[in-house]
Amino acid sequence: MSTFYLGLIVVLYLLSLTALGYLGYKKTTDTSDYLVGGRSMNPIVMSLSYGATFISASAIVGFGGVAAAYGMGIQWLCMLNMLMGVIIAFIVFGRPTRKLGVKYNAATFPQLLGRHYKSKSIQVLAALVIFLCMPLYAAVVLKGGAVFIEQIFKIDFNVALLIFTLVIAAYVIAGGMKGVMYTDALQAIIMFGCMAFLLFSLYSSLDMNFTQANEALTNLKDQVPNKYHDLGHQGWTSMPVFQSPQWYTLVTSLILGVGVGCLAQPQLIVRFMTVESTKQLNRGVAIGCVFLIVTVGTIYHSGALSNLFFFKTQGKVATELIPDIDKIIPYFIDNAMPAWFSAIFMLCILSASMSTMSSQFHTMGAAVGADIYALAKRKNESNINSVIRIGVFFSIVVSYIICYALPMNIIARGTSIFMGICASAFLPVYFGSLYIKTVNKNAALASMYTGIIASLFVLAFVHRAESASLGLCRFIFGRDVLFENYPIYMIDPILFALPFSTLVYVVGIFSPKEQKKNIVKEAAIEEPA
Amino acid sequence: MFGINDWGIILAYLLAVCCLLFSIWWGITHWNKDYKSDSEEKTMDEYKHDDKQ
Repeated sequence: MSTFYLGLIVVLYLLSLTALGYLGYKKTTDTSDYLVGGRSMNPIVMSLSYGATFISASAIVGFGGVAAAYGMGIQWLCMLNMLMGVIIAFIVFGRPTRKLGVKYNAATFPQLLGRHYKSKSIQVLAALVIFLCMPLYAAVVLKGGAVFIEQIFKIDFNVALLIFTLVIAAYVIAGGMKGVMYTDALQAIIMFGCMAFLLFSLYSSLDMNFTQANEALTNLKDQVPNKYHDLGHQGWTSMPVFQSPQWYTLVTSLILGVGVGCLAQPQLIVRFMTVESTKQLNRGVAIGCVFLIVTVGTIYHSGALSNLFFFKTQGKVATELIPDIDKIIPYFIDNAMPAWFSAIFMLCILSASMSTMSSQFHTMGAAVGADIYALAKRKNESNINSVIRIGVFFSIVVSYIICYALPMNIIARGTSIFMGICASAFLPVYFGSLYIKTVNKNAALASMYTGIIASLFVLAFVHRAESASLGLCRFIFGRDVLFENYPIYMIDPILFALPFSTLVYVVGIFSPKEQKKNIVKEAAIEEPA
Repeated sequence: MFGINDWGIILAYLLAVCCLLFSIWWGITHWNKDYKSDSEEKTMDEYKHDDKQ
């Protein structure tokens, strides 16, 4: 497709986003509108926004590339995204979250925790985790989108990144949560349509049906490159060898890290607080699941089948053609699909990236303005919206800078790192706030610190994928990992840190000293006046 | 089954379809379900005036 038509499509898309961002801006009259959409968002908009926020370019480009490298085993993540990320999240977590949000008039996730546990320390700590760690996740999503634009438009990566960033900044800063969610809904529709088309046209380009393509891919198992074969790869329609390095990476980092970590994502949790009743959340369950299976289910399946396509057309499998797995999906789309679809798919990637990033930037900005600043400057509340906007801008700049420091093959890993830290720091405390009657701020604070410190320790000294890159363990101890016994250095940090932070929370809540305090409190309440 | 021999992979696909069917069933059966407790929700007095900025 010519550059003129490509450019026209992009301009139309950007104008649509501008219109929706402006609509959000006009409908934003107070802090509640800016942070939680006034708690009156349409359930279809909310669930599409949730899905679009959840599924970023990291899911499409990064994890699609993982599917191309490792095969269909990544479909377990699709299943967990649906089960944990939508069904459990909406039904088990969403309903009580919305109620607590109303009870405490909470407009951010840190505020929800801080007001429930009556602890400003908890609110500030949660906000700091968001502000300090989320830029990494935002940066990998930013990279995913910019890499794709670079390939399709054949323009310099730096230019692609800059334009991308500026557009998102405009409608997030101006439009707030309403602007973010309206644009998310449009982007979700684009993503859904593109993936549905990809699913059907893929089999047309392979000239096979579902079963024939799977059989042909199964028969390609002898083409697995040696370096992957040595790590446990058994072919793209098989799980890796049990307890092999590839098995540990696939199962512990990519599947469990993201599949469990998605429950404690602040930018997703806040969406439960944007609707006015439980009925709206129930409506979102089906919409969310249908969206996920069509978007991520398709891209993981297509990613694995890309090996068949490349072998048929170029005599090599995906990872032999393109060493950087983050570039496999863009290359596949460019070669396997009609030229006009590449342009539309570019929109899909842009939409996936922008919807996730807008939510991340909004959440980071809210952490700065509504949590940290609002607590520090209690008397001067009139300019909180302005401070949130400044926070959003600052978060964007930080993420943009980090993007340049990212290595190859980082997208899927960066996502699971952030989700692991969030799960370890927040999940026990969050679940406790919803379902455990005992409110113990010390246990909550201890659990959060444990989750954060344990995650960082394991990343820096135990899990080889990060500790070797960071170099801190080598600097101090003269080796890449503290424990060189297999498989300790292959297990994802979440499997150490989350059980540990959960244990600390449970011990704190159910300690005999805490039980005694509760008995005394209940006795005081029951005494006649 | 469907050209895939590994039950570890087949199970992932089957469970994903089960999740899809459950979610559709839940959505249809709860689409208009009202909850009495929703109408009884109240904001605590100390947090009532945070929104007007």
